[in-house]
Amino acid sequence: MRATIITLMVLLLLPVLVLALYAPAAAAGTAIKHPMEVEVPALCSQCHEDWRGALDHTAEFGKFRHRFMAQQNKQACDVCHVESFCSDCHAHKEYLKPSDKFADSPERALPHRGDYLNQHKIDGKINPASCMKCHGRQNNERCSVCHK
Amino acid sequence: MQVIIGLVMLSFFSIMPGKILAADIAGTSRTYMQSRETAAGDNLLPLYEYLDFSVKNLGKANISVHFGGWLGYDLRDDSFGNNKDKGSDLQYGYVSYRAKENNAVVNLGRVMVFEGVAAERIDGIYARTDIKGGFGISAFGGSPVETGTDSPGNNIIYGGRVSHQKVGLYTIGLSYLKEEKNSTTFREEEGIDLWLRPVNKVELMGRSSYNGETKGWMENTYYLVLGPFDKLRFNTEASWINYADYFAGATTNVFRMTPGGPLDPNEKVNSLGEEVVYAINKNWAVSADYKAYGYDIAGSASYYGAKATYMMPKSFNAGLSLHKMDGDTDRLKYDEYRVYASKKFDKIDVAVDLLDVKYKKSINDVTNAYSATIAAGYELKHNLKLGLDVVYAKNPDFDKDVRVFAKAIYSFDAGSGSHAPQDKPKEGK
Repeated sequence: MRATIITLMVLLLLPVLVLALYAPAAAAGTAIKHPMEVEVPALCSQCHEDWRGALDHTAEFGKFRHRFMAQQNKQACDVCHVESFCSDCHAHKEYLKPSDKFADSPERALPHRGDYLNQHKIDGKINPASCMKCHGRQNNERCSVCHK
Repeated sequence: MQVIIGLVMLSFFSIMPGKILAADIAGTSRTYMQSRETAAGDNLLPLYEYLDFSVKNLGKANISVHFGGWLGYDLRDDSFGNNKDKGSDLQYGYVSYRAKENNAVVNLGRVMVFEGVAAERIDGIYARTDIKGGFGISAFGGSPVETGTDSPGNNIIYGGRVSHQKVGLYTIGLSYLKEEKNSTTFREEEGIDLWLRPVNKVELMGRSSYNGETKGWMENTYYLVLGPFDKLRFNTEASWINYADYFAGATTNVFRMTPGGPLDPNEKVNSLGEEVVYAINKNWAVSADYKAYGYDIAGSASYYGAKATYMMPKSFNAGLSLHKMDGDTDRLKYDEYRVYASKKFDKIDVAVDLLDVKYKKSINDVTNAYSATIAAGYELKHNLKLGLDVVYAKNPDFDKDVRVFAKAIYSFDAGSGSHAPQDKPKEGK
């Protein structure tokens, strides 16, 4: 069984790997870095009149839209953000609070504001799926202290 | 151990003269110390060191190395259990090849994968590229990196995504993921992701994902953005979640839907929300929002309110919001108030955030829970920032909760300066 899975995995990966390394140029790549420093919050539409304007980092971008953009076009994120920007929330991090990330941007709803210990019980009842993205398979040691 | 490897790597790269090793190194060291008390009354004083860096232009311009990890040590008690050295993790660490054309990327090591249904960390390989005709493909495989799982070792994860796009009009993707734990299927997910911009100022995006293991739709979430039309912008969100299918792949007990647990596997939630934002001028904006939740078991709830914000980029911003949650269950009946402001004075920045939640029915005899946060930062040098935060809170779990957080953030950049501008991070970028 395990051998079959590994075979499947290799069969899946191999063609992509070969194409990524050796395929002739079919499309221009996304820029590796933005040519100039961008003011925060980044409002791409101030300069870009095409689809890139859709990347405007308006207030709801962090809470809702960024996930759709990242799942389709992470290379666009990489133009301005280093990997640790994603890993702060989506990789295992012991301590992440506004005091750590976006302390100087209190208008943001995430990371959790204030004392979240009590509010998490309420938010968890409203829509626990919103917790799952960061705590379902990562960042869950604190959860297991009470939820054994 | 993993972080030590990273520190050794960093030291190695740092002491090498630039001409010998034609590479650019940039990263950030974040040192945190926090003082807090647990609900059980233990006093904790954890010290953390978070380090991330990337090494670019390694011989060939399209090869780079990326590292992020942390160490934690409690100076007073046992934040990390009986083993004080337990607090550490390699968040990511990989070698990357990126071509100038086709958006081709190959990452090898502990990598993060965001492709359709996959939002994973894996020890393995990830590759993607655009191919002819607007198509793109990606694939990944390896061992999943998870925490809080009781099935360590002998785990495997793999998957991929095929997409098609017409630049500026649409991107649609089909993705697949499978995870095995000890030769038993743990997750099998398939998904469709969509981004559509049929005309200027109309943008639809979203995702539907199907659980092949439980044979049910996990999630359908779609988001519509209209505008801006002059000063108005409309954001609409619609979502359907089936708990039994959505949470089947969690490693955290709270999501595992054990009998009598906090989640009922028969529950389903759908939500429909609308937010209208009106930018009065360059600085002022007001918004109103409404979100309706419908539950198969817990009834329904409505969350609605308004917000006013004032923003002067790089200088000052402030906001006030009032919201009400009106649901069928006691927990979902409360009013929420928030006031915040932040101001930057030359090298000093100060932020204040006040949150207040009034419950209709008391929890642990408390009907009013609030927290006040004050955060201050000082830019000692262009690449060194010191900060101190104090949080005071009263809520159903704590009569008085005071948390103090001190930090030092040091960013470094050695090389030709060819990193992205945001590689020289200010806080949280």
